[in-house]
Amino acid sequence: MSAAALARLFALYVVALAVACASVRGCVALRVDPAHPAEIVATVWREGQPIARAIVARERDADDDPALTAARATPGAALVYETVVAEGPVLARPELVFALSIVAGVDGVKARAKDGRVAYVTPDELLARQAYDKDLTIPELSLSIGTDVPLVLALLAERLDLPVPELRDTATFRRVRVVRTLAARPNTPRLAPAPPPTPATLRADEVRAAALDAARYLARGVRADGRFRYFVDAPTNRTLPGYDWPRHAGATYFMAQAAALSKEPELADAARRAASLVRDAALVTCGEARCVGEGDVVEIGSSALVLIALVEIVRTGIDTSFAPLVKELAAFLRTQQRRDGEFMHQYDRHEGHPIDVQFLYFSGEATLALARAASLTSNAADLDAASKGLAHLVGPAWSFFGDRYYFGEEHWTCQAMDDLWDRAPNETALDFCVRWNAFSRGMQFGPDDTPWDADGAFGVSPIVTPRLTPVGSRCEAAVATLDAARKAKLPKREQDALDLQLRRSLALLLRHQFRPGVAHLFADPHAVHGAMPGSPVDWQLRIDYAQHAGSAMIRWLEVTRAE
Amino acid sequence: MTERADASTRSARATRAFGAANLTSAALVVFGVFVALPARWWPVDIAAAVVSALLALAGAGLLARTPWADRASRAASFFALGLGLALVATVALTASYLSGIYGPVGRGGAIILVLVAALALPYLVVMPAVQLVWLGSRTPVPTPRPPRASEKRDASAP
Repeated sequence: MSAAALARLFALYVVALAVACASVRGCVALRVDPAHPAEIVATVWREGQPIARAIVARERDADDDPALTAARATPGAALVYETVVAEGPVLARPELVFALSIVAGVDGVKARAKDGRVAYVTPDELLARQAYDKDLTIPELSLSIGTDVPLVLALLAERLDLPVPELRDTATFRRVRVVRTLAARPNTPRLAPAPPPTPATLRADEVRAAALDAARYLARGVRADGRFRYFVDAPTNRTLPGYDWPRHAGATYFMAQAAALSKEPELADAARRAASLVRDAALVTCGEARCVGEGDVVEIGSSALVLIALVEIVRTGIDTSFAPLVKELAAFLRTQQRRDGEFMHQYDRHEGHPIDVQFLYFSGEATLALARAASLTSNAADLDAASKGLAHLVGPAWSFFGDRYYFGEEHWTCQAMDDLWDRAPNETALDFCVRWNAFSRGMQFGPDDTPWDADGAFGVSPIVTPRLTPVGSRCEAAVATLDAARKAKLPKREQDALDLQLRRSLALLLRHQFRPGVAHLFADPHAVHGAMPGSPVDWQLRIDYAQHAGSAMIRWLEVTRAE
Repeated sequence: MTERADASTRSARATRAFGAANLTSAALVVFGVFVALPARWWPVDIAAAVVSALLALAGAGLLARTPWADRASRAASFFALGLGLALVATVALTASYLSGIYGPVGRGGAIILVLVAALALPYLVVMPAVQLVWLGSRTPVPTPRPPRASEKRDASAP
């Protein structure tokens, strides 16, 4: 083939592909037009369940629907309009493509049967059933994407009175974008919602209120024996199975932080009970020391996080009786440290020796724990161990080809760096943390980067809903870095960049926190008030979601107050 | 005579270079699909198996300077080029669809798509295209015919 012929072939290919791409995009893109809504799905919700539903042309038509009117008279019922402001075609096959064609939390599905009948599945229904991000799970990446297509089809089939296979084969499917409006109670004026927090308008008092609401949410779930309501399905308010000592310890630490901030006895009592549970139920012997864990092999992460929590409880005066345990756990962590500063992350209780393996987070947690403990114990060995741990974390532990261009999720190192700054400053560690945060900022979404309200979240893909827990944990590290950067008098542009990064992330957390959230979709809105969801569509609430966000908020308040 | 020797040398070098490039591409396709990809999917597996086999055959033929090397190289190049263009079209159309659904793909998404394209383009588009041009232009060098008597006369005319 001659060069000229090949060039002609390529030119033809490029033009054809460009036209095809433009056509595909133009065909599926939605043209949102709130001024000319297509239809309105009016639903009466009560305790998180839809109890009546109608498709109407105008909002006021809902008043003429007897079923809606009757349902609305039920105590606790709320009428919600989901106004269809755009619709567009989707590929309904293969299933994964269909699943990815419904934007989580924003889009619903409209099906038109062969005979012209129409049925909707709306975003509120899919949120209430937690059906977003459920189609494809990639455990290696802790990632779930795509809408639960079987559920969508089942709901549509039920509404159109068709078997699912027939619906799938004969109906046409379109995705719909809706705008949600909560109807005012009869004879009650509709109140305009408060403007959402933004980086520019973020105020300390609203951050304080949000942090304390998160703490109160966790405190309400602490049982008499000190155990948290670890995992809660927000729409149904069901407690889900599972428990974890490191996260218990993290939540206890946050309770102590919040109690010190608010002076609320309920929070202090919750922190005390949670800490007592660890002492009574999770403390075991590791050789001559005491440690936290279960079974023959224990991991140091639990002991480290419990130590951080206990230091906070003793430091803030909630319960000083834990001071001896602080010394014991610090001593255990020191025995797990190698000469080069790295920690051995397991201890074999049966054979009585450390196991020299490393896992994500534990070295940073142990370093921070020893740094915090040193401030209480005044033991030079604790301070020395923390300093050695930090030097290893930012030195040999993060030394490989490309280490200037890639950073992990580990968010404890920078907190340890800041904690040690006044006593054992490590400029290499500060430089590491400044670069770590610059890397984070590179992954921070802007306002128009995704279909969601995600300004301030972190991620690389606009089709994956942003997780909020990494936002909280990265904020903890960023606050610590900002604090140390100010003490070290780093250039103002560096401090300003950290400050803006934090404001964007904190404003995002405040916007997504359940205060009260989409209350009509919750069986008991009060029970989850103040909770932090896992993402805009993941409403299964684990205790560390509120903990990381709340801890970051409180540390931000402390650092900005100091400034 | 000197000219013919140079052409022959260039051709031998180019033949060896394209032979090695074909074998390298075959190995990379095998590695990328059968080692790096975490799951098996028959459309991708079969296409990868065919293209890597063709490229390996063409590479071996060119290095051994077999009579069928040109035909094998041409077949491998056409198949690889078709596959490469299909892959680029699939990536571009997928990006367009997702862009229509989700809005702007964003910087992160764009980087991922460019990286995917960059991984495949050199082996499945650029190399086969260059090889096709090379094969197309590599017509046998004509043997110079002996000059006619009249030409000799003309040439010797004052």
